[in-house]
Amino acid sequence: MWILKGVPYERLGTWRVALLRGKGLGLELVFAGRELGEAFEELEARLAERPGFYRGTSAIVNFGNAPPSSDVIVKLQSLLNEAGIELRALTGSAAIETLAGECGLPYEPADVHAAPELDRRRALRPRAEMRLSESAKSLVADFAGARADIAERRRRGEASVPQLELNDQPEPPAAEPSRPAALHLVETPPPTLYHTGTLRGGQALHHPGNIVVVGDVNPGAEIVASGDVLVFGRLAGVAHAGAQGDEAARVFAIDLRATQLRIATFIAADAESTPRVRTVPEAAIVRDGRIVIVPFDQIDQLQERGISSV
Amino acid sequence: MHQLQPTIESMPEQAKPLGRAIVVTSGKGGVGKTTTTANLGTALAQRGASVALVDADVGLRNLDIVLGLESRVKYHVLDVLEERVSLDEALVADKHSEKLFLLAAAQSREKDEVDTEKMRALIAALRERFEYVLIDCPAGIELGFKNAVAGAEEAIVVCTPEVSAVRDVDRVVGLLGNRFRPQLVINRLRPLLVKKGKMLSVDDVNAILRLPLLGVIADEPEIIVTTNRGEPLALRKDAPTGAAYHAIAARIAGEDVPAPMPVTKETFLDKLGAMFGGKKA
Amino acid sequence: MSSRKIVITSGKGGVGKTTTTANLGAALAKRGKRVILIDADIGLRNLDLVLGLEKRIVFDLVEVAEGRCQLRQALIKDKRFESLAILPAAQTREKDAITEDQFAAIVDRAAEIADYVLIDCPAGIEAGFRNAVAGAAEAIVVTTPEVSAIRDADRVVGKLNDRGKPIRLIVNRLRQEMVRSGDMLSVEDVCEILAVELVGIVPDDEEIIDTTNRGEPIVLDEASRLRPIYDKIVRRLEGEIVPFTNFDQPGFFGRLLDALKAG
Repeated sequence: MWILKGVPYERLGTWRVALLRGKGLGLELVFAGRELGEAFEELEARLAERPGFYRGTSAIVNFGNAPPSSDVIVKLQSLLNEAGIELRALTGSAAIETLAGECGLPYEPADVHAAPELDRRRALRPRAEMRLSESAKSLVADFAGARADIAERRRRGEASVPQLELNDQPEPPAAEPSRPAALHLVETPPPTLYHTGTLRGGQALHHPGNIVVVGDVNPGAEIVASGDVLVFGRLAGVAHAGAQGDEAARVFAIDLRATQLRIATFIAADAESTPRVRTVPEAAIVRDGRIVIVPFDQIDQLQERGISSV
Repeated sequence: MHQLQPTIESMPEQAKPLGRAIVVTSGKGGVGKTTTTANLGTALAQRGASVALVDADVGLRNLDIVLGLESRVKYHVLDVLEERVSLDEALVADKHSEKLFLLAAAQSREKDEVDTEKMRALIAALRERFEYVLIDCPAGIELGFKNAVAGAEEAIVVCTPEVSAVRDVDRVVGLLGNRFRPQLVINRLRPLLVKKGKMLSVDDVNAILRLPLLGVIADEPEIIVTTNRGEPLALRKDAPTGAAYHAIAARIAGEDVPAPMPVTKETFLDKLGAMFGGKKA
Repeated sequence: MSSRKIVITSGKGGVGKTTTTANLGAALAKRGKRVILIDADIGLRNLDLVLGLEKRIVFDLVEVAEGRCQLRQALIKDKRFESLAILPAAQTREKDAITEDQFAAIVDRAAEIADYVLIDCPAGIEAGFRNAVAGAAEAIVVTTPEVSAIRDADRVVGKLNDRGKPIRLIVNRLRQEMVRSGDMLSVEDVCEILAVELVGIVPDDEEIIDTTNRGEPIVLDEASRLRPIYDKIVRRLEGEIVPFTNFDQPGFFGRLLDALKAG
């Protein structure tokens, strides 16, 4: 689990709607991208998946820089009311404040809720909308429900990886470079699991922390880590990095041809039926709400997590 | 009834080395474990070694059929384990090879009736009398597999060039671990199909399995025929498949013989089909 | 209209249970039936592979049994068909991860939302087999016309008879030229030995290997000669009386070779 301003929260991310739930904050709905119709459908489906789960909570809705028309707000309100959620306020850029006024809703400035991390990632997000191929879209749709379930299971404490016990201390103010802020935040992180040898089909490695495999990971094998996954060989099975919710986790391999990749609650599989030709080591990272594969020498934005856990 | 007369028994106790106990396994069914066991046993025996074959597939025995010995089987493994008969009485001498003996599986019993420790002891007892003990493993990775593996010190893994077989074999190799030093036999290869890109190649298979290769056996209709008739192909040393089994046996014995590989044999029909560009019937 | 729960079994491994399950399921779905295929081979799962769906697996049979997800969430829809879904087995677990009762309960749940539930049975007659059979109301035994396969099929038929489930037979990988030369048992021989109602005869076809490797059920190939065969099996399952294809007529080359041999 992450600690955000002292409040543990969950991220159920898709590239259009993010549903956040925190104990003290209520829900924050983040609408990114412009296809509101589809985003609504997804939200509706997500709420229907667990009727009553959100009943009694309140939500603030973040439209970022793109204020919709006021009848969208009316529609959203009725959708939320059906699920027992109160639309408490709107948030986003200054344009949203105007919209909020028009709809008779309170406005809250965005920066109250955004973690510095979230802001930085948003800043990195390109303006252009993602274009996914049909088969990729269908995979995303396939996985949407599954991701929600993975998150739900984690919420119930059913992670296959033992939960890290993090201190419930409030996050220190924005760290100065010289200050070892990490030490205040967490206990000694678990050591990296270092496995030499080929992981064969049917074998699994589960570990809180990073996992390094020197050897191949065969189809049918499974790696689940709360941190990064590094395979010094061929990765062909299923790898799950950031299994406790860390979207900044990464999967590296000399020969990356995993049957399926998972980072936090994101799942991805190669939509193409013919395998890609790999010529360089690659990494899988989450960017803009989806898993992308990046050639190793092009990762210049390796997100630092402020915690040295290697 | 045949009495057991292996030549090793006449040697003094201290000088007698323990025989090698090798389990022939795969995970996937139908890849040719039993045929491989029968043929390798035959080849080893034809080369002069004393060999005992053990059928560990309780309830689904087949090794006796493949050797043509089904009418000669009187007692089986469980009869020995449950001490109703001695090992000598249960071992059946092979029809074709002098030094080859079979210990059949029970047909009307269940795998969970086999005591793993007793199985281990049985294999140990066989190792004292035979230079090679080959154990034919059942399909799957359940109790039958575990019992077949108990008592073995080495493994031969049989795989066909198919995606599902490779997956299952990989699983088994993972379960075996390093202790058994598994070596690979690839069975039922069809070089022509490999050439056409319609079958996995030897490299494709071993790219995943990464095992030392004993050899590759081609798919031939003759194999079914000989299986039905109970005459292992290894009896025909000069035919390609028989020769391949002998080469593998030599390699098992430690000889520096190259791994047998099947050659592409284009039949008349294949050439005709290629000429017209149509699918083979 | 109650749905049918059929286990596809054989005893002997490698005779074509998984391929049969996949192709029968596909053929049924093409006829508009709602079909759920369940892979009961925990630890050695292959049904997903044979249908090319392995990279879509998120949840599996064992997780459904353990209540960690719902059946609906574990089902993978095959997009090539209107109404075909599979429940994959677990790969990193063993067969004792599920009990007969748990499996039967899952099959019943599947039967509520499908017309046909086909269960792909593991090889052998151990716990995996017992679990798979526990969920089914009927059985299809698959065998090849070889002595070892038939002997194993016979053992399985005996066990199924003990449980009182109706059994039907598919003879797979028939090579008629070998039957004619006396090197393979004929279908009549097989039926005689097993004494079970015959529901299909499937000839050997080398294309199957390639389609299995590529994850494409052969019934998708319109040119395949196996497609009408599986269609016929499906029609018989539905109660139609369909005559069996006579494989005894040699094709052009068969006749040519016979003529050549005759001199």
